[in-house]
Amino acid sequence: MPHWRPGVDSRVVAFPGRRRAVPSDRRTDDRIPNPRGMDFSSYRLDAKFYDEVLRPDGTPRAHSAPLVDALAAISAAELGEIQERVTRSFLNEGITFTVYGDGEADERIIPIDCIPRVLPAAEWTELEAGLKQRVLALNRFLCDVYGDCRVIADGVVPEEMVRGCPHYRRQMRGASPPHGTWVAICGTDIVRTNDGFLVLEDNLRVPSGVSYMIANRKAVKSNLPRLYRRCRVREVEHYGDLLLRTLRELAPPNRPDPCIALLTPGVWNAAFYEHMFLAHQLGAELVEGRDLLTRNGFVYMRTTEGLRQVDVIYRRVDDDFLDPRAFRSDSLLGVPGLLQAYRLGNVTLANAPGTGVADDKSVYAYVPDMIRYYLSEEPILASLPTRLCRRPEELEYTLDNLDKLVVKRVGEAGGYGMLIGPHATPAERDAYAAELRANPADFISQEVLSLSMAPCLIDGRLEPRHVDLRPFVLRGRETRVVPGAFCRVALRRGSIVVNSSQGGGGKDVWVLES
Amino acid sequence: MLARSAEGLYWLGRHVERTENLCRLLREHMSALVDRPVREINFGWRRIYGTLHRRPPGPALGVAESDEDYALADSYTLADDITFERTNPGSILNSFSNGRENARQMRHCISAEMWTCLNLGWLRLGTRHIEDIWKAAPEEFYADLAREMNLFAGVADSTLYRDDGWRFLQLGRLVERAQFTVALLLAHLDGVRSYAEAPDSEWSSLLRICLAFDTYKRHYGAEMRPARVLDLLVDDPRLPRSLCRAVDSAAETLAAIALGPGPSGAARKLAGDLTSTMHRPWPGVPSLEDHAERLRRLAGECLGFHDMVMAAHVSYDPEGAPIR
Repeated sequence: MPHWRPGVDSRVVAFPGRRRAVPSDRRTDDRIPNPRGMDFSSYRLDAKFYDEVLRPDGTPRAHSAPLVDALAAISAAELGEIQERVTRSFLNEGITFTVYGDGEADERIIPIDCIPRVLPAAEWTELEAGLKQRVLALNRFLCDVYGDCRVIADGVVPEEMVRGCPHYRRQMRGASPPHGTWVAICGTDIVRTNDGFLVLEDNLRVPSGVSYMIANRKAVKSNLPRLYRRCRVREVEHYGDLLLRTLRELAPPNRPDPCIALLTPGVWNAAFYEHMFLAHQLGAELVEGRDLLTRNGFVYMRTTEGLRQVDVIYRRVDDDFLDPRAFRSDSLLGVPGLLQAYRLGNVTLANAPGTGVADDKSVYAYVPDMIRYYLSEEPILASLPTRLCRRPEELEYTLDNLDKLVVKRVGEAGGYGMLIGPHATPAERDAYAAELRANPADFISQEVLSLSMAPCLIDGRLEPRHVDLRPFVLRGRETRVVPGAFCRVALRRGSIVVNSSQGGGGKDVWVLES
Repeated sequence: MLARSAEGLYWLGRHVERTENLCRLLREHMSALVDRPVREINFGWRRIYGTLHRRPPGPALGVAESDEDYALADSYTLADDITFERTNPGSILNSFSNGRENARQMRHCISAEMWTCLNLGWLRLGTRHIEDIWKAAPEEFYADLAREMNLFAGVADSTLYRDDGWRFLQLGRLVERAQFTVALLLAHLDGVRSYAEAPDSEWSSLLRICLAFDTYKRHYGAEMRPARVLDLLVDDPRLPRSLCRAVDSAAETLAAIALGPGPSGAARKLAGDLTSTMHRPWPGVPSLEDHAERLRRLAGECLGFHDMVMAAHVSYDPEGAPIR
């Protein structure tokens, strides 16, 4: 049990002159210890899990000391008020997602914990380098598998893994997007164990959550202003500018002042807020499929004055629904002829169709080999050892150890279709085993991860909860990473499922300047 | 701008204006419930339902003229029907909800201040219901809500860039205002026919609904004369909410919008027809029936104007549309 109690920070320099009375809500993160302040006395450290704030002996990690000090100066009631204000700010600003039930639409907010997760500069440097390396290799891989297929010919990745992948798009063979950028926007899921950072998943199709990175920052920093200043946190609010620069770099070559549009499936989509937010940040039009049309191989949008050519589409619609002529013919969300315009080079789609082949859960197992193959470098970020159930011996191992493993469906995302062996009942495991035997190629298995933990405000106390990290990488002509991430939290005690669709929440991530 | 965005802003303007108009209508009537005779209360309800082109729930209005308790109890049901009834597409709740939904979808086209203003108002309304507002003074609830809508209009006025987005928002407000005013005046003229001579209080309540009572008194004194009331509400361009001001401003706003690929010329011609109907001089002293006749004509032209604006800029056929 940790015994560390904070003292007054010796670096405090008082302003000369008379002290003015400060309203209590601005005093809440002062450095003066408060006898009723939040402490970690009931915070249960578990050696199995890396704690983001405390060392195993209960003392704060160097980068967390200001946070722990600040918490010690705040009573539970005051922290509760801060939490309440953070939550209210999301409601007031309408940062919601809509759940459609029986006729009634219910607007909800993602629960955001007000205590930030702090990442020291050195850790971020490593993450950033690893992310850039990974996104570069994945883009090379996509160029290759839709081009010469050297990676297959050289025996690095088996052909059936690529061609058999449900996200492989044969319509994209021979495509050559500007700067070889297939994936312009990537949201990589990273977890931390006692052994360090690990990539859990690359989201290369339509990754979401970046609006929460920015919204969380806005809400949390204004409610913990002193702590924020003292920590010297790197900014994330310029993400929109970087995204705009990236998308402009990807415009067709003869369009110096490209018209950019964000394609949304519509207001019913759970991520609609993010689509609107990003369109606003980009100064781009927010379009639906019905606003666009193609004529002579070009894409136009319907304006009040007539048709206007669109050069770059940041699409948040899945491949399947992009173009009813090329993909699913029953799609009402897409634009007939869009793929043809794309293949003619008259419009850029970000991300390109077909990128799903590189974030497939089976292909994931080969990413370290891809990095070595394309970049002749060792991977900076580790991947999680993955067993492919299509291989008989690995299926056998998975079935024998179902109570110790996490088994995932290859084509699913969002935490759906997944079995967490140790948490499942024997009946659930038996049912899952039957499905596994029926279609082994649809499954992979991994060891249960010991996700790191961070303190959250739960019922007026600090309790550890599992967290992950989704930073966003942009790639146009060059690769850019905003120093921040959307941190997802499994708010249910003991849960390791962080997906917002399954009871997860969020946290602001503070990357320190030094 | 994107045609669908223009349409969204237009409807945002309409729904916010509609919410405000309904609130003023109800606020005035809630005050009448306190001290006016039952006959006038029923007149007020008929005027409200006539304005909205809606049939009141339950038995036809007017049967309870001798029964004060019944009239008041009935008012509760009617106020609920107009304010919170979810199945009434024109209820205040639904109008506000639609306006907010337009704003939510168009947040990238409006200022953050406009969105926050509307959303906070919506969060406040979301927790109210008829029992709750009926306990205290319901007129205050309507006055507060109307103020929220005024606030939104003021915030829009001081924060939104003056491009076509602004113009479509304005156009929505003005078309809605014109249609509402025409419908209200027609329902009022229809109602006063049932009197041999309508009491002054019916005309003064009409002025209050249109926020013109104080102006009337300043200009014409305390004596209520229907011709003067109509002159102020319909033909006086100095009155901010007068019909002629709404119509003229709508035509000016449309003229400032770049030509659309649809029948833009026809839309502008219709705007011209609307203003000339509005300003055509009377051959002699007009009767109330003459006024009603002109209002009916304006009602048709307003509807046509809405359709033409949509056809010119929003719902045009993209096949032949020019490339800009």
